[in-house]
Amino acid sequence: MSTVRLAALTKHFGPTVAVQEFDLDVADGEFVTLLGPSGCGKTTTLRMLAGLIEPTSGRIWFDAEDVTYLPPRARNIGFVFQTPALFPHLSVADNIAFGLSVKGKKKDVVGPRVEEMLALVGLPGYGARLPAQMSGGQQQRVALARVLATDPRVLLFDEPLSALDRNLRDTLKYSILDLQRRTGKTAIYVTHDQSEAFAISDRIVVMNGGKAEQIGTQTDIYLQPRTQFVAEFIGANNGLPGTVTGREGSGDDARTIVAAAGLTLRCRSRAELAVGDDVVVYLRPENLVVLNDGEDGRFENVVEGKIERVIFEGPTAQLRVDVGGRELRADVSGGRRLTLIEGRGKVRLGFDDVTLIRAPRGAAQAPAPAPLS
Amino acid sequence: MPPSAPAAAVPAPGGAASRRLSSRRIADLVSHAYIWLCLLVFVMPFSALLVYSFTGPGGTYAIENFQYVLGSFGENLWWSFRIAGLTLFLDLVIALPAAYAIVRYPFPGKRLLFSAITLPLYVPGAVIGISLVLTYNFTYHLTTSIWGLVLAMTVGSFPLMLTPIVVALKDLPLVFEEAAECLGATRWQTFRRIVFPLIGPGVSAGLMLSFIIVFNEYLVTLFVHPTGITTAPLRVFNLIRTAGLAPTTAALAVTMQLISFAAVLLFFKIFGTRYLRGTYLI
Repeated sequence: MSTVRLAALTKHFGPTVAVQEFDLDVADGEFVTLLGPSGCGKTTTLRMLAGLIEPTSGRIWFDAEDVTYLPPRARNIGFVFQTPALFPHLSVADNIAFGLSVKGKKKDVVGPRVEEMLALVGLPGYGARLPAQMSGGQQQRVALARVLATDPRVLLFDEPLSALDRNLRDTLKYSILDLQRRTGKTAIYVTHDQSEAFAISDRIVVMNGGKAEQIGTQTDIYLQPRTQFVAEFIGANNGLPGTVTGREGSGDDARTIVAAAGLTLRCRSRAELAVGDDVVVYLRPENLVVLNDGEDGRFENVVEGKIERVIFEGPTAQLRVDVGGRELRADVSGGRRLTLIEGRGKVRLGFDDVTLIRAPRGAAQAPAPAPLS
Repeated sequence: MPPSAPAAAVPAPGGAASRRLSSRRIADLVSHAYIWLCLLVFVMPFSALLVYSFTGPGGTYAIENFQYVLGSFGENLWWSFRIAGLTLFLDLVIALPAAYAIVRYPFPGKRLLFSAITLPLYVPGAVIGISLVLTYNFTYHLTTSIWGLVLAMTVGSFPLMLTPIVVALKDLPLVFEEAAECLGATRWQTFRRIVFPLIGPGVSAGLMLSFIIVFNEYLVTLFVHPTGITTAPLRVFNLIRTAGLAPTTAALAVTMQLISFAAVLLFFKIFGTRYLRGTYLI
């Protein structure tokens, strides 16, 4: 119930820069996820939002209020930690009541509110238990009830599901989203888990090295990664270093021609790329289609390679194909066709969707790695 | 296959099992005997004292010795309790914030400070006594009041209060305090309602250790006690030095032992179960 704005937020820990000039605008009621590998500064950013650590420079606003140097208690936030962090000596009800009672609320107000919160998180009648008598998932639900009881302006989540097992994670992430939608709270969620981020976010901030690499919806960052890091961190990708060699056509038919790994590829034009620019070409494994005879005409780009390895994963299978000395990963469905493909030894792969990202200066000599995860 | 074969096979494992059982029984007996031997060695001197404390004139049995304790030594015991109470209070008031600062805040020279504070643990009581006499005489003129003695005891017992609290705080994850502060609690509310109950076991251990040390201390008391204040252990020491070992003195010594023993039992009774149950420690 509050907008959040970060402006040029920076945090140094001694000589290390944890967060650098971080800007973000979060709309009222929006669910924004900070996604990145460990050490990317996402948790540091969240803790600065909570007031648990002070930024080196930059500003934080909740609505029009500058909260940059306010202590956590004055911010009216709900912080859900990696561990439930329920106070072990207090009952579940007393845990939920804690935020209200420290603000001097009377018992006749607190009691019904606690019941309401327990019902909201699906644990009615559990008030008298001690945290140690509940499962990890139940404890994290109580932690949610505890922060919601104080009616916070902003909900902050620091990898709240990372300590739980996988099935529980899957159900609880939708519970979190559901609660956020029903209460209409602005939420900022930190995780390193892509599927979690993709499942619950309105927008995702991909972070790396203390900076926001890209901010956008799930489709934005998956289909149109703007940096090499995003292309390689989000989903699986084949990366090939290359050079722009020409352009042709105009309008929607405009194409950029790229020479990469001994191949000539035609890609949807990117105006800012000039002939001679070094680029990295990214091909999603699911976009590489194994062609039958006579199907070459369906795709703009066709390459031929030798099947090195087939990794069967159930619904899909990964083909590792050697194309001109480089291994490309192509994902195919795991049905009967797979056995036919496996028998061939050689395959022709067709594709239209190619992502071009300008290579950083000096990266042409050192070819980008092809992350095949 | 001959029918006797399985029959012959059965007793063999049975025999092995009983052999294993009996060797375990021997191990049990040996370990029990060892435990009882230890108990005997440690408790023997105390039981000798106990028997002696009941000795009347001419080698008869006498309960009067203990009536004498409450009569003549009552004042000494009362001084001991008062001094222990005041000292524990001072210890706690100083140790809680000190432990919090030592564990939660980085500051230069932390290790050195912690070592300096715990110095009285490694220094002989006589050395502390001399230092205190010098300090009091030349600086504070405290030798005439009970506070001189209380401060001396505080200096000696403070490390025993501080160390278990420091350990308990180090074991307490920071996340509980962070959660409380994010829920709107002030620092004081966080300390009183979250931190203090959760370090309760450390606090109570500190209280118990300090009480036993302060209650039984005679050497430092000997140096700094003001005229007119004689604590129970000092009285025992004085009596033995001047009049030799009398059964009444033994009775006082036994009484003090029982008080210390009761303190330990009380600690385990109160803090050993109810207080620890449901905390992160169990």
